[in-house]
Amino acid sequence: MSGGERKKRGCDRGHGWEEAGAEFYQESYPAAIEADLQQALQKDPSHIATLLPSKKSRVATAKRIRNDTKTTLRRRTSTRSRGTTTSRRMSTNIHDAAVSMLPDLSENLSNEERTWEEIMQIKAMPVCMSQKMQLKNQLQSATKLRLQGFEQLKWQRRKAWQQFRIRMKETWSKMELWNDSLKKIGGNFGMGIVAYFLFIKWLMYLNLLLFAIIFLLVVLPAILLETPVSEICLSNNTASVACCSELYRNMTDESDSITKIVQGILEYTLLFYGWYTHKIYESVGVNFYYNSPLAYICAIISVFIISLVAIVRSAAKGFKERVVEGEGQFYQYCNLVFGGWDYCIHNEKSAAVKHKALYNEIKAFLEAERMEEERQNRTREEKTKLFFIRLFVNLLVLTVLSACGAFIYYVIDFSFDQLTYLAQEHEIARLFFEFLPYVCIVGLNVAIPFLFRYLVALENYSPSYVVRATLFRTVFLRLASLVVLLTSLYRLVADKIPENECFHQQFRRMNVSNSTNKLPLCWETFVGQQFFKLYTTDLFIQFFMTFFVNFPRSLIARHTENKVLRFVGEQEFDLPKHVLDIIYSQTICWLGCFFAPLLPMIAVIGTFLLFYVKKFTCLVNSTPSSKIYRASRSNSLFMFILLVSFILAVIPVGYSIAEIMPSKSCGPFREWESVWTLLIATFSCFPDWLQSTLFFLGTAGFGIPAFVILALLLYYYYAVSIANKHMVTVLKNQLVLEGHDKQFLLNRLSAFIKQQQDQNKFHQEQTNELGTFQHV
Amino acid sequence: MGAGKSQFTEEELQDYQDLTYFTKKEVLYAHQKFKALAPEKVGHNRNAKLPMSKILQYPELRVNPFGDRICKVFSSSQDGDCTFEDFLDMMSVFSDAAPKAVKAEHAFRIFDFDGDDMLGVGDLRQVIDRLTAPQRLNDNDMQQLLQYILDEADLDDDGALSFAEFEHIIEKSSDFSKSFRIRL
Repeated sequence: MSGGERKKRGCDRGHGWEEAGAEFYQESYPAAIEADLQQALQKDPSHIATLLPSKKSRVATAKRIRNDTKTTLRRRTSTRSRGTTTSRRMSTNIHDAAVSMLPDLSENLSNEERTWEEIMQIKAMPVCMSQKMQLKNQLQSATKLRLQGFEQLKWQRRKAWQQFRIRMKETWSKMELWNDSLKKIGGNFGMGIVAYFLFIKWLMYLNLLLFAIIFLLVVLPAILLETPVSEICLSNNTASVACCSELYRNMTDESDSITKIVQGILEYTLLFYGWYTHKIYESVGVNFYYNSPLAYICAIISVFIISLVAIVRSAAKGFKERVVEGEGQFYQYCNLVFGGWDYCIHNEKSAAVKHKALYNEIKAFLEAERMEEERQNRTREEKTKLFFIRLFVNLLVLTVLSACGAFIYYVIDFSFDQLTYLAQEHEIARLFFEFLPYVCIVGLNVAIPFLFRYLVALENYSPSYVVRATLFRTVFLRLASLVVLLTSLYRLVADKIPENECFHQQFRRMNVSNSTNKLPLCWETFVGQQFFKLYTTDLFIQFFMTFFVNFPRSLIARHTENKVLRFVGEQEFDLPKHVLDIIYSQTICWLGCFFAPLLPMIAVIGTFLLFYVKKFTCLVNSTPSSKIYRASRSNSLFMFILLVSFILAVIPVGYSIAEIMPSKSCGPFREWESVWTLLIATFSCFPDWLQSTLFFLGTAGFGIPAFVILALLLYYYYAVSIANKHMVTVLKNQLVLEGHDKQFLLNRLSAFIKQQQDQNKFHQEQTNELGTFQHV
Repeated sequence: MGAGKSQFTEEELQDYQDLTYFTKKEVLYAHQKFKALAPEKVGHNRNAKLPMSKILQYPELRVNPFGDRICKVFSSSQDGDCTFEDFLDMMSVFSDAAPKAVKAEHAFRIFDFDGDDMLGVGDLRQVIDRLTAPQRLNDNDMQQLLQYILDEADLDDDGALSFAEFEHIIEKSSDFSKSFRIRL
């Protein structure tokens, strides 16, 4: 095909719709229209609508040419290639169709780059491979301009970039973790569950990033750089920083028993805050210094900022999808029917479950619709009854939650008391009391959700609301237990700091050497240890529950016919619960990362292991869930809950950075009133102009106008979105009206055609009759 | 015969890479999968035409309620029998890289049972029946469901979904592009 022809066709295509529309009414190709009409009318006169150009997909167009050469597209070419053989015509038709389906890239004679672009577009076309191949060859052999100079360079670069991207994709897909696992999970449980595992993976990468930041800024310098010599403790001032540090050093060094060693390992290591120095690393002779306290705080702050950005970005993506999806549940039925089947399912059992789940879901939707109606005609009596039930249940839930909080609080108090009074010899008992609070917290987290799930059934909510209600109650439980832990830690730690702790410690050590531990010397490390213990306990319990409780349960369920046993043993993959598990441990990681900088590393390992634990839960322990979890919806829900727990984690850490006085004996901030004062001191070292600028940013003179402008902008966008929404409804109404008009015209048209046909027939008959009459 | 690599020339692979959403390696991998369906036949002729029953042994298609429709849509001979190139086309459309619009076009063809370029009530009924099999919705529910679907999506009120309308739904459905995919 020559360039000229192609150009023409390009223009053709641009006016495709109008042309086709005009064609439809024109009498210039009577045969073709007749054929189409004949066909349509034979089926049903109203089916004339299917011939409208707007009703045609590109697929349909392509299919038509392939199916029978008599239809639509042939009309376009029919004038040109009537005389050629059928096969020849077929191929040109295909090419015509294909070329005309391409976006109009060739305003004039095409150059190499355009041709290349077109070839890249071929893959999107719904024709079979041999045709694509022909098309490609044709495009390649067509005459085209060679690109000159800079253009050529640009094109080459684009091509190379494309190649590079493909190559990168290939290596990346090879490197990507858990592809096979995800495929297997998807095959058995569908994309909703896969979204959960992708979420775990995302969290692992996030933790890896956090770990990398902390490692580079804090840990690596601490390992590599030479530790500056510490000052010598002068005996006349026992409360000084130097003396405290020395005391702390000495204390952690003398480890004489098992728990002491464990304690020692947990105390003075890279893992915890206490190990890091407050000194500025300086190399003698070279003009190089590394301010480790500043690096420490910067690392922590950037960890939080990066987490926030990552969450918000990911949540915003989901949110955008939700908005595009339409307000609320706009397309729920279409979604269910057209997007309901997971094409990646590949085994019979899950396919059967999926069929059943879809059936149930459809039923549930219809049921909900009916319930909505029913709710409108609910009697007053029923309403009050339901109201009281719900009130009662909510009160009960609140009581349970506060009871849990109180319980945790007292257990923590009790076990710390015991730890203080217990003699050093009872090592096992000490270890027991050390871990007791965490076992209690985790135990409650396992047990209480069952109760909630039972309670919510009484309340008679709609199914989707039930999931959300239980989820938020459980989130509340988990976070509440963390809050209680934090407050009790705070009580233990913060109240006693302002005193001259070191002096007291030393004093006490001299008198009663047994009870040194009531007050930890380095409270940051102490807090870090608590989080470390909580994280590991949680991980261990997950592990234990999966392999030693739930696995036997599933075995029982699989090998018995007994109904009771089956009930005990069978378990579904309860997505909300598992989401909470992972978010909970992530929250602990955030809470602890200031006090235990290597906690993100532990979290990387933790999430890595958790993936396998959850995979085992999913593939071995659980039967496919009868609920449908939507991939899109669940992801935005995960991110929302993660955001909530992130905010919860930031508040206490922020408070401890800003307000609580760091301990004098350890850590990078031992010289400062609070960590905040260090930042202020750093700020005062900035050049004047920067200082004044930053200072100005903080004043009301800047803040109020900025606030006003932001508010105005917000209002502007709000107004625009309202207007758009209104426009959408208006356009939709117009569309419906147009549809009605079209319907009306089409009906008229088909009636008219029919009439004409009848008339023709009538005439023909008449002439025939006349002929025969004349003949006779 | 022999290893998958020897069955294709570099040029052919380049063609396939240009014309599908796959890289060369993925094309070869797809061919392995295709070969696994009928090792004998494909061993002799790498582009052998396999009958639909053989293609339907591919795990994802076997359990898919629309398996036969998929085969028919992608088959170059319209009868459901697929050559390797058809199979490659199919996998390319179902791959992650294929854009939503391409997926939507094929989905429309898959759902269009009677081939009239519209998703009419009959088509929708069949889609739903296939989705919920072996159970069936009773007539009342079915009627209601069809009504809801048309209420949602049938913008011009003609009692059937045209491609434009279908594409509009798909555009707004984030579930669709997530679920309309088969990992190779």
